[in-house]
Amino acid sequence: MRMNESRRRFLATFGSAGAIGIMGVSTPSAQEAPPETSTIRLFKMPGICIAPQYVAEEMLKSEGFKDIEYFDTGINTYAALMSGKADIGMAFVANFIVHLDAGAPIVLLGGVHTGCYELFGTESVQGIRDLKGKTVAVPELGSAHQLFVSSMMTFVGLDPARDVNFVVYSPAESIELLAERKVDALMGFPPVPQELRERKIGHLIVSSGLDRPWSQYFCCTVGANRDFARRNPVATKRALRAILKAAQFCSAEPERAARLMADKGYRYDFALQTMNEIRYASWRDYAPEDAVRFYALRLREAGMIKSTPNKILTEGTDWRFFDELKRELKG
Amino acid sequence: MRAALILALVMPASILPASVMSMEPPSDTRQATAQEQPLPKIAPAPGFTLTSQDGAQVSLADLRGKVVAVTFIFTRCSATCPVLTPMMSLVQDRLGRDFGNEIAFASITVDPEHDTPETLKLYAQMHGADVAGWSFLTGSPRTISELTRRYGVLASRNVSGDIEHTFLTSIVDRHGILRVQYLGVRFDPEEFRRDLLSLLREP
Repeated sequence: MRMNESRRRFLATFGSAGAIGIMGVSTPSAQEAPPETSTIRLFKMPGICIAPQYVAEEMLKSEGFKDIEYFDTGINTYAALMSGKADIGMAFVANFIVHLDAGAPIVLLGGVHTGCYELFGTESVQGIRDLKGKTVAVPELGSAHQLFVSSMMTFVGLDPARDVNFVVYSPAESIELLAERKVDALMGFPPVPQELRERKIGHLIVSSGLDRPWSQYFCCTVGANRDFARRNPVATKRALRAILKAAQFCSAEPERAARLMADKGYRYDFALQTMNEIRYASWRDYAPEDAVRFYALRLREAGMIKSTPNKILTEGTDWRFFDELKRELKG
Repeated sequence: MRAALILALVMPASILPASVMSMEPPSDTRQATAQEQPLPKIAPAPGFTLTSQDGAQVSLADLRGKVVAVTFIFTRCSATCPVLTPMMSLVQDRLGRDFGNEIAFASITVDPEHDTPETLKLYAQMHGADVAGWSFLTGSPRTISELTRRYGVLASRNVSGDIEHTFLTSIVDRHGILRVQYLGVRFDPEEFRRDLLSLLREP
């Protein structure tokens, strides 16, 4: 009986999702089967920019998930995916690359938006080159914040290992230190930039969502635990679809999305600003492999990874579902 | 033509796709799209049996053999529904003889407590809908709630009691398979029309 069920499931999965790739699939999908699991686990962290992940809760229900769990991870969302505590989630592409370089059991599935990070500084910092010899606050060494600043520095020819002094403070402490000019710059994602603007602290140096080349590449991407994706390809695609639909919703109905975020404990006004500022509807316009190539090159230049972009792309990504969803979801 | 006029009046030109503002008749897209990739096959479309604006029972299964566009509206909607229905009406006009015979529209209310068949009939007339091919459907709140969930539409009442819902227009092929979903109301009606016609070429 067990063997028959397994065989049926295999055939259903194979028939619905194709043949072998990173997720056990390579041919175009035919019709989808129900998800292989009715439980899906996502992380919750302080950032508002991954709003589609939270807003997706109702969409996940319509995709057939019954138990949808969100749990707090702080900013270290990647560990939750690697350990299998979380099944799928949105996070900064550069950190995914660093973890893939180290052999983490993660697979990158697609991109959601091009930017939410903003580099703020004191009057002594007017551009990225001015970071040389300065102090930059980040919440953790190896955090997305540090990787983003490092990528920006290598892009203008600086060496982040030598040319800047990273100091570790929580986002709340960093804001106060910038106000007191005890740090020269900080990198933040919503709601930090919103608070800085509200309190008129520092000034904007780079907005990853607006300033090229950063605005031309996905910033927040969707990754999944590799084992989860392999065992549950239909569920993985359905969860990705829910997140992408939610991204569209954040763009089309910012007030409603902000209210959903407020229900989850985020400040409504900051959430609304974020919905209006981030280009959530642009997920069809960019190629996630471009983002992986771009950031992998920056990180390699900075000596933070050893793998080539091609190796990361070959071993750590599977865009098949994302490509299919680009065709299935229009608008 | 009337639909295009209504659409132009209710929606700022800046957010209308160029193909809507252009009043030029479309070229024969059955030929033009012959080389395009077929639309993906997502899953069997959620079935329904609901009551039409004329009080008749209409089910998705009854429409088997036709390409069907399924969308969700409500007649008191003052925000974006007044954009979606005229846009569909514009596409209806541009489909010519295919509309009704081979292509059908089903607009399902998310406000069944208010949208009776009579209300839907008035709404259909107001938007110039050809009810020979376009059904405006209502049902019990429970049935509608379950159906919106299965199609992936979020519909709920806010604290003021007003209905809020997401816009999702689904195209179902002749065999009842969901092929593509359009999110929001700012999609290109000409692309939508091409997708409908592309399914007519399939066996």
